[in-house]
Amino acid sequence: MSALQAKQISRSYGGTRALSEVSIELLPGSIHALCGENGAGKSTLIKILSGVETPDSGEVTLNGQPIPLGRVHAVEQIGIVAVHQEPVVFPHLNTVDNLFVGREQSKVGGLWLNKKGMREQACQIMHSLGEAFSLDIPVGQLSLAQRQMVSMGRALLHECRILILDEPTASLSARESRSLFATMDRLQQQGVGILYVSHRLEEVFQLAQQVTILRDGQCAGTQPTSSLSRSELIRMMVGRPVDNPSRQQKKTKSKSDKPILKIRGMRRDPVFQDIHLEVYAGEILGLSGLVGAGRSEIARAIFGLDPVDEGEIWFEGRCLPEGFTIQDTMAMGMAMVPEDRQREGLVLPASVEDNLTLPSLIELSGWMGMHRKPRHEASRSLIEQMGIKTASRASSAQSLSGGNQQKIVLGKWVYRQPRLFILDEPTRGVDVGAKEEVHRMIEQLAAGGSAILLISSDMPEILRLSDRILTLCQGRIKGEIASHEATQEILLQWALPEERDALS
Amino acid sequence: MKTKWFSWLSHPESLLSCLTLVMLGWICNVDPTFLQWEVQKELSTHIWETALMALPMTLIILTGGIDLSIGSTMSLCAITAGMLHQHGVPLPMGCLAAALVGLAGGWFNGWFITRLKVHPLIITLATMAAFRGIAEGVSQARPLSGFPKSFTWLGQASWLGIPLAGWLFLGCLALCAWIMHGHRLGRYIHAIGYNEVATRYSGIRVNRILLGLYCLSGLSASIAAILFMARRNTAKADIGVGVELGVITAVVMGGVSIFGGRGSLFGVCLGLVLIHETREFVSWHWSRDELNLLALGSLLILSVVFQQLLGHKRSS
Amino acid sequence: MKDGFQGLRLGKWMLGLLKQRAAGLFCFTFLALGLVSLINPAFLAWGNLRDIAVQAAPVCIISCGLMLVLVLGEIDISVGSMMGVLAASMGAMVSATRWGLSPWIAVILTLILGTLMGALNGWLIAYLRVPSIMVTLGMLTALRGVTEVIMGGTWITDLPPGIRYLGTGSWMGLPICLWVCAGVIVLSTWLIHRTPLGRRIFAIGSQPRAAHLAGLPIQRVKFLVFAWTGFLTALATLVSVPQLSVVDSGIGVGMELLVVTCVVVGGTSVSGGTGHLSGVVFAVLLMTMISTLLIFMKLGENATYWSRAIQGLFILGAILLDHLVRSKKSS
Repeated sequence: MSALQAKQISRSYGGTRALSEVSIELLPGSIHALCGENGAGKSTLIKILSGVETPDSGEVTLNGQPIPLGRVHAVEQIGIVAVHQEPVVFPHLNTVDNLFVGREQSKVGGLWLNKKGMREQACQIMHSLGEAFSLDIPVGQLSLAQRQMVSMGRALLHECRILILDEPTASLSARESRSLFATMDRLQQQGVGILYVSHRLEEVFQLAQQVTILRDGQCAGTQPTSSLSRSELIRMMVGRPVDNPSRQQKKTKSKSDKPILKIRGMRRDPVFQDIHLEVYAGEILGLSGLVGAGRSEIARAIFGLDPVDEGEIWFEGRCLPEGFTIQDTMAMGMAMVPEDRQREGLVLPASVEDNLTLPSLIELSGWMGMHRKPRHEASRSLIEQMGIKTASRASSAQSLSGGNQQKIVLGKWVYRQPRLFILDEPTRGVDVGAKEEVHRMIEQLAAGGSAILLISSDMPEILRLSDRILTLCQGRIKGEIASHEATQEILLQWALPEERDALS
Repeated sequence: MKTKWFSWLSHPESLLSCLTLVMLGWICNVDPTFLQWEVQKELSTHIWETALMALPMTLIILTGGIDLSIGSTMSLCAITAGMLHQHGVPLPMGCLAAALVGLAGGWFNGWFITRLKVHPLIITLATMAAFRGIAEGVSQARPLSGFPKSFTWLGQASWLGIPLAGWLFLGCLALCAWIMHGHRLGRYIHAIGYNEVATRYSGIRVNRILLGLYCLSGLSASIAAILFMARRNTAKADIGVGVELGVITAVVMGGVSIFGGRGSLFGVCLGLVLIHETREFVSWHWSRDELNLLALGSLLILSVVFQQLLGHKRSS
Repeated sequence: MKDGFQGLRLGKWMLGLLKQRAAGLFCFTFLALGLVSLINPAFLAWGNLRDIAVQAAPVCIISCGLMLVLVLGEIDISVGSMMGVLAASMGAMVSATRWGLSPWIAVILTLILGTLMGALNGWLIAYLRVPSIMVTLGMLTALRGVTEVIMGGTWITDLPPGIRYLGTGSWMGLPICLWVCAGVIVLSTWLIHRTPLGRRIFAIGSQPRAAHLAGLPIQRVKFLVFAWTGFLTALATLVSVPQLSVVDSGIGVGMELLVVTCVVVGGTSVSGGTGHLSGVVFAVLLMTMISTLLIFMKLGENATYWSRAIQGLFILGAILLDHLVRSKKSS
């Protein structure tokens, strides 16, 4: 009999379908892996199972009883506990307080905390997780891995029947991973069902009995791990026959061309090391890799938002000075569409016109102030050129759909006619129609002679648009390939970390 | 139709206009003499300093910051000019020095905020104590007076029925209105208040703008100090105590969001009028000054609560 | 071998102690005390020390509450005006020419009134989600007005001996306000370290998002902390105002600044999450001592006018120190 059962779960965000009719069954005392590419819907499923979000349709039952959907506390009470990828910790409090806050043990009716008892139990839990760090220092001073373990400990404090782990080993070292696996093993013996999400396929094969593969929000199948090989699993994750994998006319890189952007030995500890790359005029260079591989950090460093520890960046034959800023790179002709559209890309409450002209206001004004007419003209033509669907140029950006918002972020740079576009996830959270339009615009920009550095977790997108693809793994460039030779399998193979010493 | 009315009403400016009109109508009904030009002119003499400082404060609050130190900067500037005058320096030079002191004070605040990333509330709270403390220490809390006639004339002269300070305010208002509506800086200031990160990512030198605004705030405090000295013919370390609260109240009452981004100079002017008329009418009609503060504080809380409730409605 | 290990631990412990704000302030306070008593031994007279403590007591009582407000990541600048209202209402209640209530009832009513005012702040902030700086700024103005309405432009000079005893009386050789202050410190220590509520206050201030995920009752905790601050303000009023023979409408003016200053200098982070009671207590001592120190240093009467400037410098120093510590930590 299955312990946790989710039936026909669907969930949409705006116009995009994150999950459609996904079902999953979790047996008590087993480890069930959940695999899928970035954006396949894993985190949405976990959020629904742990009560953070409610599904549009479908139901979740525990031992036949429906669980209260969308209420974290109630879901925890009945024994479903999730450890999210980002640790839930209070940085100023010490480990004991972190574990117990919200469910303290006290004597005399809540008037006197049972510090000794809590401390002993905390000691026991952290010890069982193989951690020996002092329980008294603030958790903010611990390493990321140790914080992750504290977050784990918080989950173990519950009498849990179902444990959901979202990429628990992403920030752990080999030793910590080992003790985590030992704990999982122990819980499994006690009959706890574990849902385990990981990009590390070796772990999946070593730990899990069953694996469910998600692809584009749909269930691509559930199989026992013993009947699968690594390459079969990857194929199931990538799945669909890749339609139209490459552009009709690829620009061939001729050696006589001067690169627009040339990077030599760029390093910023601890996020990326030893980065060498060139982007030529009219070329789209894809940068693929898993989330957290250092792609966005490289983009931010090139654009002057983050400092660089070491390395040379040449732009159109000129070397960027030490400690260059975003003003320098903008003046030279760079533009960046940041990863987080709402937080970094747009001034949401401001009007479409304000957003479109924000970086170019200097060009659009003279000593008497802003030139009203050219500004209106510029925003009008940009709205037209980018195909932004908006009631008027004065409506606020937050009233627009995700796709149109993304077109604004792209459009505000297009006006400046930069030589290099750095696009970080340009189609994340954008519906299919708008995605097609954004793709066409990117191709147009490249055809117009701009160089484009494209970062995307969407494999078909990167294969379709790019001329060359670089794959990053843990902050280093793992391989380079021309896109007509590339397949999703190769890119995923490079992107996944190799066999780790934890398992050997 | 109903929703249209509601969306119009949810603009703080329109709400405020209605409130001001209703209040003026009521005053007209209760005591028409209060609204006579002569009376109003008589009562308006000391609003101008507050109004002048409200302009940079509006811009600062629009960026999401705050400046609590303006009252203390005022006293420091007044003491600077007064002490220099006492030591035989010509008064124009003293005023120039006062302006420089104001600028320096504002720069000091801005430097801490942009470089050390200290919260504006904390650093201006610190300089609020420090500046007044220095003014007290230097002047030994003694009043300085005996300024020349030509200087005090500044405080009494008027043109076309409006005192010089009033003209100065109107000029500055026009300048600020131009900055906010005709110049790119206005767009930048709103953008910083709404989303500082996205503004920075658009290549705008956010730190430089913030530093400039705090300097401007210091400068306005020094001008207010000079106006005050000219009007009262005295400089003392305790001038401007609590002035910052009046200024912030006017700005917030005028519909400027304390989190930045939203707000307009028009609203702030309405806020200034509303506060000024309430205050003056209460003490003029009932001759009870103590009701002033009560009315002012309640108005502030009510307007913020109201904005909050309306904002919730709008977002949901 | 074992000794060496322990020696190392002792050294580490001392280093950690020095990094803590409380220890730094402790050293500084005693250094200042030592220096001044070298210059002027009269400073160490029992009467003088007692006067300093009596002066510091009400500030300390309110600081204990305000520290928790700051730990939550909020602020309360209305405590000074609250004190004014409470002083005026207490005076009016006990004054024979006004209501003439018995001191006992007046004390209880004052405590209730203070808690209610704090609760009003808390309700607006926690449940209506109005920014705390705005609410308490409005209260700062409005309550000062209430004070003046109650006083009606006069003074109250006929406080009955029953209520004066709270300010001037002493028990076992120590003034009553010191006993109350000590009680509040002990109670706050217990609250912070020994109750679930205390731990939750720190958790919420440390990371509100995580607190939400962990299902902590954020609104209720905020409400309680503001009400508690109101209660403590009432307590501070009760032990400090009867020391004077006159109640006027200016009581408590500037108190909010002094208290916020003390709490910040005492090492409480404005962004929430951290704060040590011991640091705050020493900061209160240091801040209230400055003017007395300046008098006893015999620098002439001019020096006392610099006390506010010195206060300001202390806050600036604390901010700079915070910055240095933070940049050290991140590198």
